[in-house]
Amino acid sequence: MLKWYEQIVPDSDVVISSRIRLARNLEDKPFAAKLDDKQAREMVEEVKSIVPLLSERDNRKYYACNVSTLSEIDKTAMVERHIVSPLLAEKKQETGLILSDDETVSIMINEEDHLRIQAIVGGMNLEKAYEEADRIDDIAYEKLRFAFDEQYGYLTSCPTNMGTGMRASCMVFLPALSSARLIQKLIEEVGKYGVTIRGIYGEGTKSLGSIYQISNQKTLGISETEIIENLKNIVAQVVKQERKRREYMLSVNSDEIEDQVYRAYGILKYARQITSENAMTLLSQLKFGADCDIISFDREFNIHKLMMGVQPGSLQWNLGKNVGSLSRDQSRAEYIRRELPTIK
Amino acid sequence: MLCDKCLKKEATVLYTEIINGMKKEQHLCEECATDYTSFQLGNTLINSELSLNHLLSTLLEAYNTGNTVETGRKPAVVCSQCGTSFREFMQNGKFGCAQCYRSFHNELSKTLKGIQGAVNHTGKRPKGYISTTDRILKDMTETERLGLKLQEAIEKEEFEEAARLRDIIRQMKKEETNNA
Repeated sequence: MLKWYEQIVPDSDVVISSRIRLARNLEDKPFAAKLDDKQAREMVEEVKSIVPLLSERDNRKYYACNVSTLSEIDKTAMVERHIVSPLLAEKKQETGLILSDDETVSIMINEEDHLRIQAIVGGMNLEKAYEEADRIDDIAYEKLRFAFDEQYGYLTSCPTNMGTGMRASCMVFLPALSSARLIQKLIEEVGKYGVTIRGIYGEGTKSLGSIYQISNQKTLGISETEIIENLKNIVAQVVKQERKRREYMLSVNSDEIEDQVYRAYGILKYARQITSENAMTLLSQLKFGADCDIISFDREFNIHKLMMGVQPGSLQWNLGKNVGSLSRDQSRAEYIRRELPTIK
Repeated sequence: MLCDKCLKKEATVLYTEIINGMKKEQHLCEECATDYTSFQLGNTLINSELSLNHLLSTLLEAYNTGNTVETGRKPAVVCSQCGTSFREFMQNGKFGCAQCYRSFHNELSKTLKGIQGAVNHTGKRPKGYISTTDRILKDMTETERLGLKLQEAIEKEEFEEAARLRDIIRQMKKEETNNA
């Protein structure tokens, strides 16, 4: 089965992926702030025990592990592929992870909440992501008692997540809006509708290669379907604005943009060493060129997969070893040369 | 020296007023000075820490007592299950356990309106979850349930539906008495 970042999906010129995250807590255990180390270990084991049930009921294979058994490279690579959050990777207490073989579904154990059920799919498809997360939530509830209150909904560590416990988000690629310095204005605009725009790995992270996350803020007094509808409408507006801006840029600057796109391809295809920041900038220019039909390749491929592959963690994970920054830059260049198709 | 105003307590404040070039000096006690002037001389507000969280909780406390002046210390609200105090929650923004939501129930509604703009969940419920409303409805007879629907229809001014429901209820009551 292809992973979400290997598939070719509609609207991926702007919307790279759609993600749903559900926060759940066990009713008989203290929340993260009051959980001691022994309780944390027990809780991780209890949640991990749903794996056979998940594999049986869902048509995928699931794997579970304790995050403390993973190497630093594994953890960084998982953050880069959006499987786990930076918080889970850094937490000192025992934490766990359940992951489906296609990386669509992951459950973080003992992050800010006992469970963070996450489903991620390629392109603009929040409904599909919710369908996955909702099903996993139901299966998990057969074995685990979640804290739920008639008035307050699903009870979470932080009052900003209570109610549905749901955060819906779209990862968007906004090169035209960001080069026109319109992101700040966009953040203010969408804020009026209860929507936030954040960096690539979520809260408190910066943008990389013009990639941002757009997500809902409120979780109480609004249903799951309403959250998705609302976010979908806002993202559709952002997509429209980004496309309009791209058209405008091309109409006034097409020669320069074309030159920039082909230069980016040239460097990526022939460089012998390259840093991850530089690779991200060039891949971002190349994606822009491919999306606008300025450049085309002899086979279809997902540039975003390459964007994740050039990150330090993923790169070393693919190499299977920890290497210094110079040889990392060399292996990165080699990896890009190998993956990048020929121009048509 | 005694206070010029109440003539009872020791004067600790020298209050000077200049009105239309006329200088007037008064020796006042702390209490009279606070009443007479707009300055808060009591040490309760001046000396307390003015962190944002403290400010928020002070405001909340004022809301909850319906008073803007602190009227003696209220017993602190503490979660009976995990021992998290409401003050602690206000400072860290994290609940200690599921029970905290019930323990802080009275204090929460204003905070939630600020953060979420709502106080009631309207989304998904766990599969098979039976709410209090469901339980009450379950124990009702069919006629009672229809009665509720009738009330709802009248409130929504859906009179055709209301008339239809009224007729069904009448019919059912008739049958009930006939059967009895």
